Amino acid sequence: MSFIEVKHINKTFKVPIREDGKFGAMKSFFNRKYRYINAIQDISFSIKKGEIVGYIGPNGAGKSTTIKILSGILTPDSGSVCIDKMTPWIDRKKYVSEIGVVFGQRSQLWWDIPAIDSFNLLKDIYKISDEEYEKTLNELIELLNLKDIMNIPVRQLSLGNRMKCEIAASLIHKPKILFLDEPTIGLDAVSKKAVRDFIKRINKTNNVTVILTTHDMSDIEALAKRIILIGKGSILYDGTIGKLKKNYDYLRKVKITTKDNIEIKRDYIINQVKIKDEIEFVIDIRKVELSDFIKAISSKISIIDIEIISNDIDDLIVRLYEEYKI
Amino acid sequence: MSLYLKYLSMHLKSELQYKMSFILSFISQFFTFFGYYFTILCLFNKFSNIKGFTVYEVLLTFSIVTFGCSFCEVFFRGMDQFDKLIVEGNFDRLLLRPRNIILQVFGEEINYVKLSRVLQSLVILVIALLNLNVEWNIYKVLTLLLMMLGSITLFLSLFTIAATYCFITVKGLEIRHVLTDGGKHLAQYPIGIFRKGFVLVLTYIVPFGFVNYYPLLYILGRVEKKVYIFSPITTILYLIVSLLLFYKGVKKYSSVGS
Amino acid sequence: MKSYLSYFNLKFKTGLQYRAAAYAGIATQLFFGIIYTSVYIAFYESNASNYPMELNKLISFLWLNQAFFSLMYLWHKDKDILAIIKNGNIAYELCRPQDLYLMWASKILGERLSMVTLRFLPVLIFALLLPFPYKLILKTSIPFFLLSIIALVLSTFLSTFLILLCHIICMFTLDEKGIVNIFMVTADILSGLVIPIPFFPSFLQKISNILPFRYVSDFPFRLYVGDINIREGIIGIIIQLIWIIILVIIGRILSKRALRKAVIQGG
Repeated sequence: MSFIEVKHINKTFKVPIREDGKFGAMKSFFNRKYRYINAIQDISFSIKKGEIVGYIGPNGAGKSTTIKILSGILTPDSGSVCIDKMTPWIDRKKYVSEIGVVFGQRSQLWWDIPAIDSFNLLKDIYKISDEEYEKTLNELIELLNLKDIMNIPVRQLSLGNRMKCEIAASLIHKPKILFLDEPTIGLDAVSKKAVRDFIKRINKTNNVTVILTTHDMSDIEALAKRIILIGKGSILYDGTIGKLKKNYDYLRKVKITTKDNIEIKRDYIINQVKIKDEIEFVIDIRKVELSDFIKAISSKISIIDIEIISNDIDDLIVRLYEEYKI
Repeated sequence: MSLYLKYLSMHLKSELQYKMSFILSFISQFFTFFGYYFTILCLFNKFSNIKGFTVYEVLLTFSIVTFGCSFCEVFFRGMDQFDKLIVEGNFDRLLLRPRNIILQVFGEEINYVKLSRVLQSLVILVIALLNLNVEWNIYKVLTLLLMMLGSITLFLSLFTIAATYCFITVKGLEIRHVLTDGGKHLAQYPIGIFRKGFVLVLTYIVPFGFVNYYPLLYILGRVEKKVYIFSPITTILYLIVSLLLFYKGVKKYSSVGS
Repeated sequence: MKSYLSYFNLKFKTGLQYRAAAYAGIATQLFFGIIYTSVYIAFYESNASNYPMELNKLISFLWLNQAFFSLMYLWHKDKDILAIIKNGNIAYELCRPQDLYLMWASKILGERLSMVTLRFLPVLIFALLLPFPYKLILKTSIPFFLLSIIALVLSTFLSTFLILLCHIICMFTLDEKGIVNIFMVTADILSGLVIPIPFFPSFLQKISNILPFRYVSDFPFRLYVGDINIREGIIGIIIQLIWIIILVIIGRILSKRALRKAVIQGG
């Protein structure tokens, strides 16, 4: 059995419908009608110890519902979750000391006082021994380069430094699993890199399992080999990024600068736009070799410049979303 | 307990980041409170008694109630402001920690500024006691202590009930002021001055009577029965029920979500 | 002028959306009305004479105060305004082609009017249906009625400008907790909302006659129930007008100064 085993979980939310009109509020007060929203439907996956998994999907797809269930905050309507031989929402108190959670948009640090005070409080909350605490804290300080910022009130820290402290705070009790909810949101390039490097590092050295949700595909590319794509509450794809690319990344943009005019109609040309001296083709590389296409074109016109643009992962995801109509 | 003390010191540290603001707020709280005090003095300036109760007897009742309320507002502020935790989504964070949830809720907020009110209610209590014509004995001292503790327990229960309401909806939460502020106003006076319906409500539904009326009668020597001494203890039952409801709310929260 | 009207409209319409808050507000007002009337009735029943106000006038006065409470209370704090003062975004307000003072005034007025619109009628109806002696008696004569309506309209503006002044003082103190809070609470007491002015010691009554606060709620409603005579009523209305003018002048001068300060500081 895997370290994390999620089987057929479902969650439906009941949302009261607001009635409009003069006495709408009154009416709905006495006779409430509800709308049912299937936040997640029949989700199953398993994750091995030490894996980094990117959990992605558009807003409202059910990402945070899943994370809440996995972290023991929410109980699913049906299905089972077994993580390290525990059911999160049943063994909640015992379970949560094995996980660390970082919400990129929320803080667990005390705003007005230095981060070290928050860490000290967490030491008491998780009942960590002095020795153990000292050791972990020093490790974190060194790895994240926190030495100079530990004694500055959190409110005066830059966003990047604050995020480093947030992550450190969620690791102070040496969790086996780390949930990261948009950990790089709003960070500059340097801080993003620092955070990613650190996540990789603790994953390697401490064998921490990482589940990452993000909208930033470069996070996923840098960190996760495996992604789970969720849309409208169901899993659409579960596998490596490489395989995803193979299956879906078949369009290339070819930009050609030329003085000549040309109009080609072929089934592999999806789109063709001409702006001044530049013609932009979008071609399907499943139907034609890129080199053949260029050969064919160069035989007809004189090319001044040529640029081939491959899709970045964002485009890929957008196309996936479109394909599944989510 | 040691964790709660830790929370206390953390909040003190945060508060001391803004010393000037703290001092000003402390003073202005003192003034706010003076408003209530002023009302009672004005009324007794025009009238000699209210249903046989004199000004100092009313002040005693008043100080017991405000003591309990402001004590809870200082130390259990997190429960009082529970709606914030839910609305801002921070309650999830507490669920992610391997500690008692109520303790963590208490620890979320400590309002040292309102110590100003606790202090003032104690001052008024002393003024009232010095001017009352009571022959003190060990039973009456015990009664007074139980009244003060009962007042804390009762307000904590009321805060908890209001917090539990947040699990259902955070809409129209202003209604909680009817429970706490309203109760506080109503119970400033010995409840015996009100019509029967009120007395019943304030005895059996929101048991202010057990905190500041029935034991008061014993202290003033209007009843002799010893059972009146222990009437504030009933608030513990009230607290237990409200805490159970709260836990039920926590369960519902994790099955329904927010 | 049109833009201020639209600020007013916006706040008014938003305010009308807060139904749940209104229900809670109505319940609170009813509850406090019952407490206040009960306490006074108990006092009147226990003491034979020397009443500063006739009981039925007092009870009606208390209910009117509760019904129009959201238009009368003076410790109103506008979260949006305080937020931009505290976070320094006030400098941006200067970029708009509008007068800050009038803009804020229309916001506050709009919000308070929306609150009272949702609340006053249920409270009045409830109070009318109560048994004697708790009952509100709305009967009055035409001159008193007309005068008190004028007084009520003026007091609406008076309270708005008073509250606005507090917010403008916040632009200097950058915090509403200290002096401004003390000012608001004192104003609240002296307005007669906590306890009617006739119950004040006589020296305080004299002081409160000069200050603007009692002209917010004490004056219009005591005029309505006939506790103030016509002559005093007319004088009171003149005093209301004078205070409105004074408050607007002070408010405008202070707001200009505060803005200049904000600009120099760079926001």
